[in-house]
Amino acid sequence: MTSLVPHVVNGLTLGLLFALIALGFTLIVGVMEVINLAHGSLFTLGAYLALSTIGAGWFSGTPFGIWWLDLPMASRYFIGLALGPVLAGAAGMLLELCLRPTYGKAPLYGLLLTFGAAIVVEEAIRLIWGTGEQNMPVPQMISGAFLMGGLIFSTYKFYAAGFAIVAILMVWLFLERTPYGAIIKAGAHDSEMVRALGYDLARLRLIVFGFGSALAGIAGMVMAPIWGLRPHLGIDVVIPAFLIIVIGGVGSFWGAVAAALLVGMATGITGAYAPAWSLMSMYILLIAIVGFRARGLLGRRSALEN
Amino acid sequence: MITLSDIPARGGTPFTLPMALFVAILATAPFWLQWVGLYQYLGVEIAIWILFAMGFNLLFGYTGLHSFGHGAYLGIGAYGFGLFQHGVAVSLWGGLLAAILAATVAGAIVGAFLSHRRGIYYALLTIGFGQVFWFTAMKLHWLTGGEDGLLNIPRPDLVIGPWRVNLNDNAAFYWFVAGITAVAVVLMWRVVNAPVGRILQAIRQNETRARFVGYDVWRWKWLAFTVSAAFAGLAGGLFAMAQQSAYPDVMSLHQSGVIVMMVLVGGGLVSFWGPVLGVILYFIARDVLGGLTEAWLLWYGLIFVVMVMVRPEGLAGLIHTMARRAPPAVAPAAKPETV
Repeated sequence: MTSLVPHVVNGLTLGLLFALIALGFTLIVGVMEVINLAHGSLFTLGAYLALSTIGAGWFSGTPFGIWWLDLPMASRYFIGLALGPVLAGAAGMLLELCLRPTYGKAPLYGLLLTFGAAIVVEEAIRLIWGTGEQNMPVPQMISGAFLMGGLIFSTYKFYAAGFAIVAILMVWLFLERTPYGAIIKAGAHDSEMVRALGYDLARLRLIVFGFGSALAGIAGMVMAPIWGLRPHLGIDVVIPAFLIIVIGGVGSFWGAVAAALLVGMATGITGAYAPAWSLMSMYILLIAIVGFRARGLLGRRSALEN
Repeated sequence: MITLSDIPARGGTPFTLPMALFVAILATAPFWLQWVGLYQYLGVEIAIWILFAMGFNLLFGYTGLHSFGHGAYLGIGAYGFGLFQHGVAVSLWGGLLAAILAATVAGAIVGAFLSHRRGIYYALLTIGFGQVFWFTAMKLHWLTGGEDGLLNIPRPDLVIGPWRVNLNDNAAFYWFVAGITAVAVVLMWRVVNAPVGRILQAIRQNETRARFVGYDVWRWKWLAFTVSAAFAGLAGGLFAMAQQSAYPDVMSLHQSGVIVMMVLVGGGLVSFWGPVLGVILYFIARDVLGGLTEAWLLWYGLIFVVMVMVRPEGLAGLIHTMARRAPPAVAPAAKPETV
């Protein structure tokens, strides 16, 4: 049994990282009932933007670029960590503006529009950064590996998992303990009443979408050193995010977190026995859970069912 | 916004003007394709995808069930054809039957899981199943050849009585595919304009009400999915012949999304002919835009996004609205005289 421990640890960290990926996705689904298939592309976009920030990007060769590259890696890294998500959030806001004509129609249109947007963003990334795989550098202090119980673990993964815990708690506190969170949740619950109370719902949606997209960008930045960066990463990312939402139940915050841990564990433990099939386990999990519980673990009734 | 039901269904003969036009275009394509700057193989591809899109639209447009994993059944059909040629016998009809059968069985099993679901959960489960099939095709090396797929699938000769036609000839192969597509389209026309088609449309408009009227909604949804998968399987068998290989790429989520895009852009939500228009537009866009720029998919994606925003009823809806707008332009002018 001892041989299973590293796989469980791996599965748990993977689960936390999945939760980080799904965080922005669940926020947008919960509040706006839009399945944002462009989530993965915004994730990738955020990571690429951060990569360009760290490596001076288009300024390389100019005096500014040379000065920039002289700065310590860590400071460039943290500026990238801030800038990538902000720009991804701006792209998300643009997407929300495009989504406006689809509100009030069947949820299919939102799904289709974001699918189109996903393709557009992916192709744009291919055009700007090229098709090859790129590596995201990591500052010295959080890279490397360590030994635990005779097994090698990557330090960065643990930092990333810790970061995921902090991010999950912060989003939860934001939703539960601030007046803005209350308005967002009220908007999800009864948008007409929120509008009647005088809140600008259009702006609220814009902000939520931007925030959700920024979370996607953060997740992209954090995950890029682990998974590598390639233009079609988006589709590899949006699928787990989306399985997690369905397994957890649409609109449930802790349902999504629980589902993410479950999916991570399933992937990690399958990896112990049949590494080639480890990604398959999440689909089996989806079919098993949704086959029996139509609304996932903790889901509530949603307009998306109509 | 207009819907499919606004374009009235006609019972009786499928030999309408659009059908005649469609068959005429399909039949004459080899004579003018090269003349307009396209190539023979494109005709084969378009005919196969029309077949696929037609079957898909039975589910998507008519029944209102949004499958985002439909590429899987095309792929299963392709593997079915290929495995039959390699493992059982080199036979044209046997291979195509195997393709249809494989996709139908897969569709029937998946449909049984899906048919209790509605709306977005239905769509999500189709993605889940689609990914399972895609992943299996990628990993089951001994059976499917993994990522490279099955190679060297033969194109058996077509034997009708004393005639033997070599389908390795591109023109002959085109006629063969076009013939099957034409038959399938006529068949589909009959299905959607029969009472079955009405029931499926009733389910799209209001599933609860259809159930209260007394239809066994589960069974009809299951049937629509299975028939749709069978069409995809046939298209897949032909696709394996065309490519002389079968590979998992067509089963990916990306490809499954592309078929949704094609059908929507063409106007599958509002018209029987929507999928045909959509497929033609997609392949012409691929070749024309693709000739101009590497990033043609970027432009096609942008067109798609704008289309969903301003005109979700697609090309067919646009044509329909324009055709309908033309007569009333005369009518208001006549009105004052009668008052």
